[in-house]
Amino acid sequence: MVQVFGLSHLTLFTVSPDALSILLAFISVTIGQRTGTTFGFAAGVLTGLFSGNMGLSMLARTVEGFIAGYFHIPENSHATSKQKTKRLYGAAIAASFAANAVYAAGYNPLGLSPIYRIVVLGLLESLITLILAFIVNWLLLRKTLSD
Amino acid sequence: MRKFFILFTKYNAYLLFVVYCLISLFFIKLQNDNMLTRLRNGGVEFSAFITDKLLSYGYLFNLKEENERLMQVNTNLLSRVINLEAATTDELNRKKILADTTINASKFIMARVVSRKFSDRENMLLIDAGLNKGIRKDMTVLTPQGLVGRVTAVSEHYAKVMPVIHTDFKVCVVSDKSSTIGVLGWSGGREFVAQMEHVPISSSLKLHEEIVTSDISTFSIRGIPVGRVERMIPDKLFYTVDVRLAVDFSSLTQVLVAPLKSDPEKVAMTSDNTTGEALP
Repeated sequence: MVQVFGLSHLTLFTVSPDALSILLAFISVTIGQRTGTTFGFAAGVLTGLFSGNMGLSMLARTVEGFIAGYFHIPENSHATSKQKTKRLYGAAIAASFAANAVYAAGYNPLGLSPIYRIVVLGLLESLITLILAFIVNWLLLRKTLSD
Repeated sequence: MRKFFILFTKYNAYLLFVVYCLISLFFIKLQNDNMLTRLRNGGVEFSAFITDKLLSYGYLFNLKEENERLMQVNTNLLSRVINLEAATTDELNRKKILADTTINASKFIMARVVSRKFSDRENMLLIDAGLNKGIRKDMTVLTPQGLVGRVTAVSEHYAKVMPVIHTDFKVCVVSDKSSTIGVLGWSGGREFVAQMEHVPISSSLKLHEEIVTSDISTFSIRGIPVGRVERMIPDKLFYTVDVRLAVDFSSLTQVLVAPLKSDPEKVAMTSDNTTGEALP
């Protein structure tokens, strides 16, 4: 809801921060790849309902959850808080970049060049999402990701 | 069997991923399916309702400004009506207007833009008029300044509009002086410049000529201003024509929706469009 009604309206060079990437990264990192993928799929259904581009949204979010799953920290790991946070940031960046690439491949309402959209806007979106991840981590996730 | 089971549990994340991807691809394929359209319209309705509520608080603070703007819209509309009346005295124009049964200015519907998204993932307008106000798919959306877009989805109280500045949007246009016909589209880039295609080198189109919608268009009524010719670059056979759009999409808050152009004979003649693409 925050993504659809709030953040998607905040655009910088046609790119908006993606709170869902952070949520999916968090789920995939803490719970696992399967859960992350399933949550991604479900998130895609919901956001797709509001945006009108259901199939593509489902695909992008599924890929997002799946990619973020590679940053999963097993429950019995002895990772420090710093390592967990780094993983979360890595997952958020990778997930956001992957989702952007899927969107770019499937839908191009502004007629931008595919390379520009995937590389430049993908990196820009990852950067914005990373900044948002810093804020979210600082405000909400610090305790959850502690040692 | 045991091996298969071990393989399955080992790689079930991949299998799950593949299954979800297949479902997603299936939905992409069903994008225009009726059930999916209904589902999407429900989503649009809900999304627009929430956005509308969120905006209404800001709207209350801007009532004075809004009122002045509406007065301006009314003034512009009045001036257009006067111009139209004057034009009817002209014999040639009178004949043209009488021959065109699709224009009925009294049936224009006024709507407020409740949401606008201009990003690399979505580019659309949401207006607060839907089936309840008589809005139908493919109706033309405009302002007194010019063409805004085309209705692509309608729910009970809201409608989704594909703006001129969408890469999938096409409309048949004609220049007012030289009567050069072309197809207007937007290929990205600056949001106030669109491109007029299929203008042959032999055409007498000039810079700064006004471009309006043509009667050839399957959805738009004729004569809606679209913009002015800003640049013409000759190619081998055709000109590349840049048109500066008449509508400022960055400050769009109120729009008018023109009645559906109903010309059954024309629709029947163009219905053998086998490509499945929306006709301009």
